[in-house]
Amino acid sequence: MSSHPQLRLQIGAASIPKLPAHLCEVIVIQRLPLGVFADPFELQNPHKHKAFRDIAVFGDTNLELPSFQSNRSAVEFHIDAGSNILFMQNNGTEFNLLLPLHARYQPLDESGYSVVEIGEPDMLMRCSVEGKQHKQSCLFMSPPNEKAKSTSATVAWKIPAGMKAHAGFVSVITFVTALLSTLSIVYASMFWSGTKVSKT
Amino acid sequence: MISLKPRSILLISAIFRVGLILFGEWQDTHVEVRYTDVDYLVFSDAASLMASGQSPYKRTTYRYSPLLAFLLIPNSFTSRCWGKFLFSASDLFVGLFIRIILKQRKVPDDLCTYSMLIWLFNPFTFTIGTRGNCEPIVCAMILWIIICLNNGNVVQAAFWYGLIVHFRIYPIIYALPIIIFLDPCFFRSGTKPLLSDWTSDQGKARQINSELTDKCVVSDALKSTFTRSRILFGLISGTVFLLCTGFFFRLYGWEFLHEALLYHLTRTDPRHNFSIYFYHIYLNYERELSVLEKLISFLPQFIVQLVLILCFAKDLVFCFFVQTVAFVAFNKVITAQYFVWFFCLLPLILPWSNMKLKWKGLCCILLWMGAQTHWLLWGYLLEFKGKNVFLQLWMASLLFLAANTFILIVLIRHHNYGPVFRQHTDLKTTKTT
Repeated sequence: MSSHPQLRLQIGAASIPKLPAHLCEVIVIQRLPLGVFADPFELQNPHKHKAFRDIAVFGDTNLELPSFQSNRSAVEFHIDAGSNILFMQNNGTEFNLLLPLHARYQPLDESGYSVVEIGEPDMLMRCSVEGKQHKQSCLFMSPPNEKAKSTSATVAWKIPAGMKAHAGFVSVITFVTALLSTLSIVYASMFWSGTKVSKT
Repeated sequence: MISLKPRSILLISAIFRVGLILFGEWQDTHVEVRYTDVDYLVFSDAASLMASGQSPYKRTTYRYSPLLAFLLIPNSFTSRCWGKFLFSASDLFVGLFIRIILKQRKVPDDLCTYSMLIWLFNPFTFTIGTRGNCEPIVCAMILWIIICLNNGNVVQAAFWYGLIVHFRIYPIIYALPIIIFLDPCFFRSGTKPLLSDWTSDQGKARQINSELTDKCVVSDALKSTFTRSRILFGLISGTVFLLCTGFFFRLYGWEFLHEALLYHLTRTDPRHNFSIYFYHIYLNYERELSVLEKLISFLPQFIVQLVLILCFAKDLVFCFFVQTVAFVAFNKVITAQYFVWFFCLLPLILPWSNMKLKWKGLCCILLWMGAQTHWLLWGYLLEFKGKNVFLQLWMASLLFLAANTFILIVLIRHHNYGPVFRQHTDLKTTKTT
C-alpha cells in the first residue's frame, strides 16, 4: 500500500438514531495510532471536504516527525445530520468518509516492514434540543455494533521500514562516497583552475 | 541564429507565466492533484496570520523570514495568486539580469539571448515561480548583487547581500569569495573596476591570470587583507543582517530564531530525499550521533567549499556556480527546489565554456536528468507502492551524487577561467606557449 492511502470509514445508516436532522449533527472520531497522521491542512481543502461542517485533527499534528518521536492523534468530522452526503452513497444504507492518511517513518524492523493497526471509528450524535428556558445540547452515543466488533473492523497497514542490518555498511559507503567525490572535485579544481604560475 | 529581441522574449515569457498561473488555479479547483506547491499554502497561511497581527510562526512548517510572509500579505485581501505573480515577476527579472550581466562583459547578443532562453524557458524554472515557490526572489537578488559588484557598487551589493542571507541562509557560502573578489588591485577608492570582456578572455585567460597573480599577491598580501572595500562590505552586510534578524527577534522571539535560522543550520531529515545521507540519518535517528560522526559528514562540504573558493574566487560567477552545485550535492537534505539556486547561475557561465552542446553538453544534461529520474522511480515505488526499496533508493542517491560530481568536474575542465576584472594599468600580454 502507498504511504498516502485513503481510509474509508463505512458507517451504516442504521447506526444513526432517528432524530430531527435539522437540529443534529453526526460526529465521527477516528483515532490514529503511532506511525500514521492526517494532514490538517489537507483536510481543509474546500474542494474535497465542503460537505462537512467541521474537520479537526487533535493530538500530534507535527507532519515531519518519525513514528518513534511522535504521538497519537485523532480526526474528528462534524456532519450535518440532514446533509446529502449521509444519504447519497450506495443504496442509502451506509455512507463513506474518505480520510487521507500519511505514513510516518517507522522504527527500524528486521523484516523491513512495520504493521500499523487502525481501529474502527467512534460515532456520536449531538443535537440541540429546545428546552423551556434555553437550548440544550444532548450527546447521543451510538450503541456498539456487536457484529462490527471483529478483527475485520481493524485495518492493518504494512509500512516499509529501515533495516538495522543495513546500518553498518550504509554509513561506511556513504562516507566513502562523499570522500571520493570530495577528492575528485578538489583534484579537478586544483588541476584545471588555471592558478598555476607560468614562468616567462 | 536566434533573432528575438530581449523585450519580446520577456513579453512572451510573461504571458506564458500568467497563463500557467491561471491554469494552476483551474487545476487546483478541478483536479485531484494540485498544481500549487504545498509551500505556497504555508506562505499564504503565514501571511494571513501576519495580516491579522499574529505571528506567522503559528503556521506549522513555516520556516522562512517574516519578510516573505509580509510580501504575501496582499494574498489575503487582493488575490490569492498575488504571491505567484510576485515570484514569476522575480523569475522574469532573473532573465533580465542574466542579460545585463553578460552585456557588462560584452558577450555577443546571440549568446546573451541563448542564455536568457535557457533560464526563461527551462521547464523546471518556469514552473517553480508559477507554482508558488519563492526561490526566484532569491535568484534575482543574487544576480543583482553580481551586477552591483561588477559596477563597483560595493555599498549596494553589501546591503542586498545582508538581506539575502537573512532571507535565505545558504548565500552565506558566497561571503568569502566576495571578500576575495574585492581585490585591492581592482577595487580602488574612487575608481570603477574594469571588467574584462568576453572576447579577451577566450584562449588567454590562464596566462593573463597567472601574471596578475604574480604581480598582486606578493606585494599586497599582507597590507591588503583589510581594505576599504572589504571592510565596508563586511560592515554593511553584517549590519543589515543583524538589523533584520534583531528586528524580527524583537517581534517574534525565539520562535522566529529557531524556525527561520537555527532549524536550517541544524536540519537533518530522516525522510527520503536526494541526499546520500538520508538513509544513514534514518538508520541512526534513534540514537544521538557522535561528534565525530557529525564532523565526518560536515567535512566533505567544508573541504570542497574551501578549495572551490580558493581556486575560483576571482571568477566570481563561476565560483558561485560551482560552490552552489557542490553545496547542494553534499547537503544533508536535498529537495528539488534547491536546483534553482544554481540554474540561475548556469546561463552566466556557459559563454565561457568551450564544451559543445553536441554531444558533451547533451550527455551531461541526460546524465543529470537520468540520475534524477532513476532516483524518482525508486522514490515512487517506496512512497506510492509501499515497497521497501530503501537500499535501492539510497544507492540511487549515491549515483546522483556521482553524476553531479562528474558534471561539475566536466564543467570545471571546460571552463575558460579568468578573473572578472583587469588592472587599470596596461599589461603586456604574454604569448601562450
